[in-house]
Amino acid sequence: MKVPLRWLEEFVSLDVSVEKLVELLDLSGTKVEAVTKPSGAIAGVVVAQVLEIVPHPDADNLTLVDVTTGDGEPQRVVCGARNFAAGQRVPLAQVGARLPQMEIGERKIRGEVSRGMLCSSAELGLSSDHSGILVLPDDSGLGVDIVSLLGLDDTILDLEITPNRPDCMSILGVAREVSALLSNELKRAPIELETDPELSSPVRVEITAPDGCPRYLARYVEGVEVRPSPAWMTARLLSVGVRPISNVVDVTNYVLFELGHPLHAFDAATLPDQQIVVRRAKTRERITTLDGHERLLHPDDLLISGKKKPLAIAGVMGGSDSEVGPHTRNVIIESAYFHPTSIAFTSRRHGLRTEASARFERGADPEIVDTAAARAAALMQRFAGGRVAAEITDVYPAPTPRNEITLRTARAGQVLGTSLASERQAAYLRALEMGVTQADGVLQVEVPSFRHDLRREIDLIEEVGRLAGFDSLPATLPPGRTGRLERDQAIERSLRRLLADLGLFEAWTGSFMSEADLERLGVTADQPAAKMVRLANPMSEDEPAMRTSLLPGLLRAVALNERQRARGVALFELARVYEPTVEQLPHEALIVAGVMSGPRRRGTWIGSERAWDFFDGKGLVQVVFSALGLPEPSFSPVQGRPFHPTRAAAVAHLDVTVGAVGELHPKVLAGWDIERASIAFELALGPLLAALPAKKKVEELPRFPSNLIDVAIVVERDVPARAAERVIRDAGAPELAEVDLFDVYEGDQVGPGKKSLAFALELRAVERSLPDAEATAVRDRIVAALTEQLGAELRG
Amino acid sequence: MSDLRTRLEEARAEGLAKIETAGDLASLDEARVRTLGRKAQLSQVRSGLGKVDEDERKEIGKLANDVQQQLEEALRAKRELFEAAELEQRWERERVDVTLPGRVPPLGTIHPLTKTIWEIVDIFIGLGYVMAEGPEVELSLYNFDAINTPADHPARSAQDTFYIEGTDEAVCLRTQTSPMQMRIMERQSPPVYVVVPGRVYRRDELDATHLSSFSQLEGLAVDEGITMGDLKGSLSAFARSVFGNDLEVRLRPHYFPFTEPSAEMDVECFVCRGSGVSCRLCKGEGWIEVLGCGMVHPALFEWVGYDPERYSGFAFGMGIERIAALAHGVSDIRHFYDNDLRFLTQFRGSA
Repeated sequence: MKVPLRWLEEFVSLDVSVEKLVELLDLSGTKVEAVTKPSGAIAGVVVAQVLEIVPHPDADNLTLVDVTTGDGEPQRVVCGARNFAAGQRVPLAQVGARLPQMEIGERKIRGEVSRGMLCSSAELGLSSDHSGILVLPDDSGLGVDIVSLLGLDDTILDLEITPNRPDCMSILGVAREVSALLSNELKRAPIELETDPELSSPVRVEITAPDGCPRYLARYVEGVEVRPSPAWMTARLLSVGVRPISNVVDVTNYVLFELGHPLHAFDAATLPDQQIVVRRAKTRERITTLDGHERLLHPDDLLISGKKKPLAIAGVMGGSDSEVGPHTRNVIIESAYFHPTSIAFTSRRHGLRTEASARFERGADPEIVDTAAARAAALMQRFAGGRVAAEITDVYPAPTPRNEITLRTARAGQVLGTSLASERQAAYLRALEMGVTQADGVLQVEVPSFRHDLRREIDLIEEVGRLAGFDSLPATLPPGRTGRLERDQAIERSLRRLLADLGLFEAWTGSFMSEADLERLGVTADQPAAKMVRLANPMSEDEPAMRTSLLPGLLRAVALNERQRARGVALFELARVYEPTVEQLPHEALIVAGVMSGPRRRGTWIGSERAWDFFDGKGLVQVVFSALGLPEPSFSPVQGRPFHPTRAAAVAHLDVTVGAVGELHPKVLAGWDIERASIAFELALGPLLAALPAKKKVEELPRFPSNLIDVAIVVERDVPARAAERVIRDAGAPELAEVDLFDVYEGDQVGPGKKSLAFALELRAVERSLPDAEATAVRDRIVAALTEQLGAELRG
Repeated sequence: MSDLRTRLEEARAEGLAKIETAGDLASLDEARVRTLGRKAQLSQVRSGLGKVDEDERKEIGKLANDVQQQLEEALRAKRELFEAAELEQRWERERVDVTLPGRVPPLGTIHPLTKTIWEIVDIFIGLGYVMAEGPEVELSLYNFDAINTPADHPARSAQDTFYIEGTDEAVCLRTQTSPMQMRIMERQSPPVYVVVPGRVYRRDELDATHLSSFSQLEGLAVDEGITMGDLKGSLSAFARSVFGNDLEVRLRPHYFPFTEPSAEMDVECFVCRGSGVSCRLCKGEGWIEVLGCGMVHPALFEWVGYDPERYSGFAFGMGIERIAALAHGVSDIRHFYDNDLRFLTQFRGSA
């Protein structure tokens, strides 16, 4: 909302600096987003009259325009716009002039010298309207500086109006706030309107949708002369960002910005029988709106209609058929109150947001309807001539009652944390034009019709608080309780730190995913990951659903880093995936996943480069379990994408699969344009956190030394190391404390199809040292079991 | 008798000379055997002492001890000398060039958004809060209705909010962390002191300051006698802790459907300190908006069955990406989701 200070001053005296005014508005809830002074960037632009327009000899889209500024020789400029005619007045940026975006010099355009430039309102920085040269009113004085003509030396505040305060979307509304802040009286000039008692209004109004339109008022003006508005009004409309059209239309816009009430002007000649019906649209009904679009209406859309044909989408935009044009003689001024919800839905349905709809959908003032119409009629009379009928058609069958709210002034103090005298609270509310009666610390407050946001006591407490100023509140601390992270929250943090300390970079990737991602991952329809929570209204084809895997996001990031020529990439993410359930809400499962690609260690003077491999990935999984205090997980070969068919393992905790680790399948990597071999892991944290023991009790330390023995065996190549370890553990109990596989060998020494596995065993007896003879017996027991169960031979 | 003495003196002189002339540890060892060994003069004199009468034995014994001590001392001194020299050689042999690169273990980083959340959560833990997390796929009932959003509020439209297919807009992706206020109050009685970090979703077009999926942190304090002054004190303490203890903080009235009174909190611009008309961060305003807050609307208490006459509270919410971007001077929040190592590496240490 743009507020020119001179316009504001017509409603309230501003006896403070602009800086102070800005601070007062900021700190009372009307944030000033910008303070501008349009004139700062403009110099050397004056009013000129067009004398003659001739074609450019060398360019079809350009013309040569001779203009005069009233004294001296006519000047010739080259111009691209054609929206003006000889005799009209236009802004001329003379040679040496300065505009917001450029400086004007004499220059040749396609061989013709241009001594200056005619300006559009966009070039003057007044609007974004580039559609043509700004045609000035005929009474603009030749040679007059455009800055003073258009009042561009005014200061304009750009205000952020929160959605609960539609009453501030006007000069009057802002003035009311300022009046309360400065304790200066709100000035309302009387409306000078001469009505014609002889002239009767032919307008008849019928409301068939009173829920959407509680009040409809029409005034009739006969014999207007449509022409450009006076310069000052043109300037004011431009300064608030509205394109001037004609005196009649401009007046309705002017009143909208001044009083905050949207009006509409119909050409009375286009209404058969001067009959207006406010009704809902019929199925398949259509209207062409002022912006030239034909719109298919929805049965909930509220219309202003003639006997049959719709004239306007109520409160949103007029129709082109009933538009006021250059030949309009008689005008019907509409001033109505439309219900916010109806307007909001219609506006959204048609993607049509206008100054009018923005005010109606937030809540206009039903009581200002007549004042706004009178103000518009008076201005029309003044600038377009014509007679205004004294008769007013005002259909308001069920006047909206004003809200009554009780405020306990002590309660205000309790909420705000500071005590404010009842008198002071009453004064704040009165300053905002509320009716207040006071008794025993209780205020009975009558809420004015323009304040839809004030519904209950707390709303009034806010008004008291913001006028008292939040800076006047004490800064205190509540008692609080014992603050701490819960166990799982603390574990989640340490897990992130662990992985970062192990060399992985934490990533944050998007929560969405697509079928294409599933396909590239090689997820088949029967896998759980194929079932995604889908969005009804995704923003793009690439993001139609919630992710069921963290891998696509991580792979995208790996690819990005590979393109950036990162040497090695190791990323992890700890985040949620979304699994559909039979309930209304999906299960949001916490997952930790990682992708490691390229060299793990760079080649240095100490050692050569080494790439991430399966055992690095497996080691990370092992260390995660170990850090969580969980027993070693089991790893078993797993087939199927996204993994390499013979280099991947399912990870299980106590026989329940909680994830997988492996080298990624080359096809999967190709899907994300990743060139280097990559290792990935994905673990569900939920089951692991649930499996964590409560606080651990410490075991007594062994008092006697253990025996260390090595055993090397030769087995068939396809015997998993894990199987051998299991046999050793079973056979070695109870003396066996630890088993460590420290060497694997395949080659000539063991023969084809065989491999050797070497284990370090740690043996221990309870409460005594284990004699060598007993240790040997345990070893023999283990070797016998290995031979029997795996066909192992002791390696000599 | 004097013979024994002479022999001891001879042993002393010869021994010292042998020790003196020993050129390395091996010859020193040989010298030790020759002077102090069983066959050495000194030992032989000692073994002959039995035949000497008692008075003299004492005297000669004393002299023998004296000789032995002196020889041992000489041996020890010489040995130390050799050992020191040997160590000297060893140090020289083992010398490394300490300016060569070390064997650096790989080191990753915690993501800046995670760090920002941790920092904020820790501040509130210090103020006596706990942390909670809630569903991102949320009932529209909690995301909108329960927190006092009008039925026709534009934020509810499918233009602005993601809805889940087949739910007839009953299930959405939460547009804010605020619905967790209701879930927490529903499951526990006051007092409540909680912060809720998490992802939220809005159908915003991507640009340098907007993402369709981003993160917020919500806070809620409900107790008897909580005032707007408590809100001011708590959030000022937070903002100063994050942005700088010497900065001015202000509350500016604002509007949110779920709080009343509502406010936004501004921190004095930490780049220009309110002085710069051309400041790129605050655009000359002198203030940076950091969060939205307010006193919990009584309608929310009524919804969960808290007595609004007995309990009061405040709530606040802030954008994690925005706070992180402000704190680290990140100009485009999309960087946070690119995971470019050149970006992430910069967040090592306490950054």
